[in-house]
Amino acid sequence: MAQQQNTTRTLRVIGGDGPVIDAVERVTGQAKYTGDLELPGMLVARVLRSPHAHARIAGIDTSRAEALPGVKAVVTHKDAAKVPIWGNRQRALNEQVRFAGEAVAAIAAVDEETAAKALPLIDVKYEVLPFVLDPEKALEPGAPQLFADGNLEGQPRVLIRGDVERGLAECDRVIERVYHTPTMWSGSMEPRAAIAQWEGNKLTVWASTQAPCRVQTNLTGQFNLPDSQVRVIASYVGGGFGTKSAAHVDETIAALLSRKARRPVKLQYSREEEILDSNTRFETRVYVKVGVKRDMTLHAMDVKAYINQGAYHVRLGGLGNQATHIYRIPHLRTVQYRVHTNVPNTGPTRGVGDPQETFAIDSALDEMAVEMGWDPVEFRLKNVKRNGDPIARGGSGAEDGRLVAQVTDRCLEEGAARIDWSRRSTLPGGGQTGPRARGLGVAVTERGNGGGLAGASVTVNLDGSVVVFYASTDIGTGSRTTLSMIAAETLGVPLASVRAVAGDTEVAPYDGGSYGNRTLYSTGRAVEAAARDCLDDILATAAPMLKASPAEVELGDAVVRVKADASRSLPLRDVMQRRGRSVVGDGSVTQSQAETNVERAAGAHFVEVEVDRETGKIRILRYVSAHDVGQPINVTVVENQIEGGTIQGLALTQAEELRFDARDGRCLNASFLDLKPPTMLDFDARRIEPIVIANIGEQGPYGAKGLGENPCHAGMAAVANAVYNAVGIRLRRVPFTRAEVLRALAEQRPASSRTA
Amino acid sequence: MADEDRDHSDLSVTRRAFLKGGALATGALSSTLIPTPADAQLPVATESDPRRSVVEMTVNGVAYRKEVPNRTTLLQFLREHLTLTGAKMGCDRAQCGACTVVVNGRNVYSCTTLAVEATGAEVLTIEGLAKGDALHPIQQAFIQHSGFQCGFCTSGQIMTTKAFLDRVPRPTEDEARRAMSGNLCRCAAYKRILESVMTASRLMQA
Ligand code: FES
Ligand code: FES
Repeated sequence: MAQQQNTTRTLRVIGGDGPVIDAVERVTGQAKYTGDLELPGMLVARVLRSPHAHARIAGIDTSRAEALPGVKAVVTHKDAAKVPIWGNRQRALNEQVRFAGEAVAAIAAVDEETAAKALPLIDVKYEVLPFVLDPEKALEPGAPQLFADGNLEGQPRVLIRGDVERGLAECDRVIERVYHTPTMWSGSMEPRAAIAQWEGNKLTVWASTQAPCRVQTNLTGQFNLPDSQVRVIASYVGGGFGTKSAAHVDETIAALLSRKARRPVKLQYSREEEILDSNTRFETRVYVKVGVKRDMTLHAMDVKAYINQGAYHVRLGGLGNQATHIYRIPHLRTVQYRVHTNVPNTGPTRGVGDPQETFAIDSALDEMAVEMGWDPVEFRLKNVKRNGDPIARGGSGAEDGRLVAQVTDRCLEEGAARIDWSRRSTLPGGGQTGPRARGLGVAVTERGNGGGLAGASVTVNLDGSVVVFYASTDIGTGSRTTLSMIAAETLGVPLASVRAVAGDTEVAPYDGGSYGNRTLYSTGRAVEAAARDCLDDILATAAPMLKASPAEVELGDAVVRVKADASRSLPLRDVMQRRGRSVVGDGSVTQSQAETNVERAAGAHFVEVEVDRETGKIRILRYVSAHDVGQPINVTVVENQIEGGTIQGLALTQAEELRFDARDGRCLNASFLDLKPPTMLDFDARRIEPIVIANIGEQGPYGAKGLGENPCHAGMAAVANAVYNAVGIRLRRVPFTRAEVLRALAEQRPASSRTA
Repeated sequence: MADEDRDHSDLSVTRRAFLKGGALATGALSSTLIPTPADAQLPVATESDPRRSVVEMTVNGVAYRKEVPNRTTLLQFLREHLTLTGAKMGCDRAQCGACTVVVNGRNVYSCTTLAVEATGAEVLTIEGLAKGDALHPIQQAFIQHSGFQCGFCTSGQIMTTKAFLDRVPRPTEDEARRAMSGNLCRCAAYKRILESVMTASRLMQA
């Protein structure tokens, strides 16, 4: 907010570092996650899941399960409302199942053993249908159809700028490549969990969710209730990474069971269920044509992408950020086909489509730089958008805004300096002999900051202590701390006197939730506005007590004083006692449609790898992640996010691919052991160096920007580019398994001997 | 796919060793490795129902005696019967470490240990680590370094650290990395977890 930047008041709380305010709860086991909660008389739920990738339920008989002593309720598609789950095509329970693992029925019983025993007693007659797993095959004539209106979701998404055919014809060099990322796991450590309780017509759901208000909105639709009758609470959430960013079937199933059994019901997913029935990171196949002029300018780009949305989608995969927002490209066309297939649900997962798209675009640009003999950093610096450049505000692609507070160049320059980019060999392998060769790679990324409706309220109690209420959640991003810091800073009280009540729809105004770089950026603005509202009220109350006007007094360190005469002061506590009424501040904010300045947050990743030609092993020697974070609110929180996000991005290079059996469409590796998320030994985290680029933004609270997603974007591209620089092989499909590396090396050998 | 295709560890520990990761370093993981004191009583099926047993164990210094179904895991016993919910269910398959507790000085995955196997044992959970309001040095170190994000893996990380540092009080960083490799952190706060373990080692010496 412009007003902040003009103020000369130094920041007291913001910009500090140190542990999060709920650290003690988290290291003592006192933090209660949804699965830790117990309600009197609570039942345990289990879900029966389809063994078929695609089938119609011809008949379902629950009578034997219902007859088992201890079973209190069974629900099937007949019990579910014919209302899709929030933002999805899926109902809570469907008559046609579209992936192996989809919920078919659910049971609530007195204990887990009984529920497990009852599951096989449900008699389901499946009419098995043909299935399709590949997004391009799903568009072919005669492909199995998932929905009556076909497999293609809506119209292809097309963004056009300039004239791409003409642009490509004008180029001095054009290359064409295809990049592929598979369906990948993107879950969190805490599997999904939901507890539902009805009191009359009032529904309360405790859920492990990033977005309590979205879950609330969905439940009001499912049960035809007003907002006031549905309360959703998410206190501690054990990670989300996008997979919990909207309503899902689990909350509704728990509520259906609870309504039928007239008792509270807990539905806790197993790890396998979490992998199959949450959101996965969508598969992409990206065809890229890039054209340049001899003077190093990027002149035209033509992108065609197939996005495998799986059976259902919480959100449509939107590629296009990388190409449309980072680089100046006069002639650009992106066409995206969002296709349904019989693989599990897709949805937002850290970065949504940005990691996949960064892999495609920033690999292609690297290939172009190599072809032209250009330095990849210089090539990017020449073409990245700068402040003042036109940029799209919305999803249409039309460049109707103006870029501000952008430091892509600084990210590139500081990262290059840190990793000592100048030592990079321009020849792949750089004449290195022996089995191991080292190389350097770079990739650039960026993302906007979250938006939509955000809300918060702040109460200053009679003793001067402060409570902040908001309905977004702290999924591990430290937002409980950073939002409290914003309230403390704005009010002028110590952080220790602020407590945050997060994730409860009944005590806080509507807020979109915690996803898409938005908690700090959007909810944070709401908290700032609510705290400012309180401050105005407090100053107006205190001013007459100090025989001054409100404009003449200020609040700092929990003391109200006259600016011109600090000896005239009153502790906040005394002001509140004399006032005799709490102060309540409201802060609901939304993005202004009139705002044409666009601020986004860039990042540049640099990696040095060592590739073992004999084993195919890629070792990360150094990894530099430079990120624009706006004004850092808490530097420790920022670094923790960059380090963790970088490893999640690297994880995509080595594993986490969901594999499916071509014969029956079932997932082959739905376990930690087979998906192989990184352990402490997979990447040496000591070699990851965050660079926090402080760069005061224009619109976020105190100039902060959102960060959560970005560090996960660039790993695949940066590593692929470094591997090329090390040994001259181009990896265009993730994960980069040893087998894949060895195959590429083997293909390279005869080719190079031919040219030799 | 072959395990070795996916091994990107710097220390060349294979994925197969991941499961044994904690075991290699700290000597415990499989419940069969829980040392049972010679005089410990074996659990007995109750007279009325052979599918239930009486389990006796000391948890965080408190003696418990409870009759439970034989199939009850130690994790279920702690969470559901004793309402000690600090240990978490991350996989229920000995693949993540979120459920780690210390049994007779060894870190074990409580999800794949039966409660009856722990009969007669001394069990320490995250809830028993602090002395009143005084946090254990390991907890202090995890706070000092922010060795977590969402905190869901943290109880397990801390309990593995406890058993490890009791056995190896002054580890090298690489020893610590191996010891901690049986505990996944999806938020990937690994750098800070390692720093926490090393600082805890120093604090515990002091
Ligand atoms: S829950 Fe026990 S190892 Fe994952
Ligand atoms: S802190 Fe989230 S899983 Fe480790």
